[in-house]
Amino acid sequence: MLQSIGYFMRRVGRNLRQTPVLCSAAIGTVAVALMIIGFFGIVVVNVQQVAQQWSREIQVVAYFDQVPDLGKVQQWRSSLEAMAEIERVEYVSRDEAFKRFKIRLGTDADLLDGVGADFLPASLEIILHDDNQNKGGVEAVVQRLKQIPELDDISYEPEWLERFDAFVGLLKVAGIVFGGFLLFAALFIVSNTIKLTLYARREEIEIMALVGGTPLFIKMPFLIEGALQGILGGLLALCGVWAVFTLVLREGLYGVLMVTGTEGILFLSPMQQWGMALCGLMLGLTGSLLSLRKFVRI
Amino acid sequence: MIQLYNVCMSYQKEATALNEFSLKVPKGDFLYLTGPSGAGKSTLLKLLYGAVKPTRGQVLINGMNITRMRSWRIPMLRRKLGIVFQDFKLISTRTVFENVAFPLEMQGKKRFEISNKVYQALKHVGLQGKLNRFPLQLSGGEQQRAAIARALVIDPLILLADEPTGNLDDDVTCEIMELFKGANARGTTVLLATHNREIIRRYPRRIVSLDKGRLVDDHTP
Repeated sequence: MLQSIGYFMRRVGRNLRQTPVLCSAAIGTVAVALMIIGFFGIVVVNVQQVAQQWSREIQVVAYFDQVPDLGKVQQWRSSLEAMAEIERVEYVSRDEAFKRFKIRLGTDADLLDGVGADFLPASLEIILHDDNQNKGGVEAVVQRLKQIPELDDISYEPEWLERFDAFVGLLKVAGIVFGGFLLFAALFIVSNTIKLTLYARREEIEIMALVGGTPLFIKMPFLIEGALQGILGGLLALCGVWAVFTLVLREGLYGVLMVTGTEGILFLSPMQQWGMALCGLMLGLTGSLLSLRKFVRI
Repeated sequence: MIQLYNVCMSYQKEATALNEFSLKVPKGDFLYLTGPSGAGKSTLLKLLYGAVKPTRGQVLINGMNITRMRSWRIPMLRRKLGIVFQDFKLISTRTVFENVAFPLEMQGKKRFEISNKVYQALKHVGLQGKLNRFPLQLSGGEQQRAAIARALVIDPLILLADEPTGNLDDDVTCEIMELFKGANARGTTVLLATHNREIIRRYPRRIVSLDKGRLVDDHTP
């Protein structure tokens, strides 16, 4: 076993030394393909961040007709907080609402001089869990609130919610379709580049089969080579994406997303960076496997 | 050792390469496969090393029916065969030593065993002084000797040679034929496809003649 691994590694080393141009071309192709995917990934990550920021603003406010009994408020809070969709419920009394209103008016707060807090209704502010900050989650909560007769009005902006849900859905579909397309295109290009390197060695592959090499024994060094080229391409792509992100992309993307109130532009997470290197490895491996099917015939 | 029964082989519907061909070759035999171009000589050799399968009939080598053999077992069959081609089929980017070592590497032999056997094989064909040369730095005869060393390095049961002297002059042809004779004397069964009458005259052995895929003559002079 160890002897075979040693043999395979020697052959990989020899192949890389013998055809440096073709090997560089394969690594470069993986790198360029993954860089495009990486840029796309950065855009998706940041648009998702904007969507998440927006979703934090989704909450339901239920207004009381009359000032409720505090004992009852506590009961409603407990029963509402037992719902899976709800993270927490806050009771906002008339005085608290008046205080907030004053703060919001800022320098114009003196307009409220001589006015009492009783013109503002008491309310329940319902904050939903992240997963339920969508139309479905909000509607479930609203149905439950409608069962409380003391509540006069429930505010939850259904039209905005529908638009937000459609936007998030579109984002997911676009991510899957475009990302899938990019991956497929990358696989096609990488596999064809590897095919060129195998074409240059078709004589060797043919002779290996004629002298009794098993398909696995013939393929293994090429698979290792493909995986190695893939991971090198992946790491190169990561460096490239980081350089372009630091020099150009961060500023550019911030300029575009600034209007959405984004907090800052994100780079790929460590997990996504590992994923990119792994994606390179898989591209190289799959590309080699697809090409070898044509060349290794016993 | 080699048995073929009513073998038919066609690449396309109307192009029959072998037609109801039957043959028995005992162990240690040396025979020429002869006939005009397109007679089916190369197809017969390809059938024997499992590169093609017969359309009909049975092919047995050493008791193994290769007609029914699954593709993953073909490499095991080829490890018992030495194959020599007219165009040598040496890897141009590898040295003579590395080319001859190739079949042993495919069998997963240890490095010191490979070195030992390859050196012996190259010495046997007179190329021990050129083991670090690349094929294109050798003459045609030397390249064919290297190819024969590669075929013999595994001590094959059967040596299949497809027009091995087709590209060589008379003197070199004699050297190559001496190597085949030597291998046969050591017990290897040799099947040599050729249309070179001069070789057959100079090294008389069993002659199997083919024409349009049929066996037309089988005699020993």
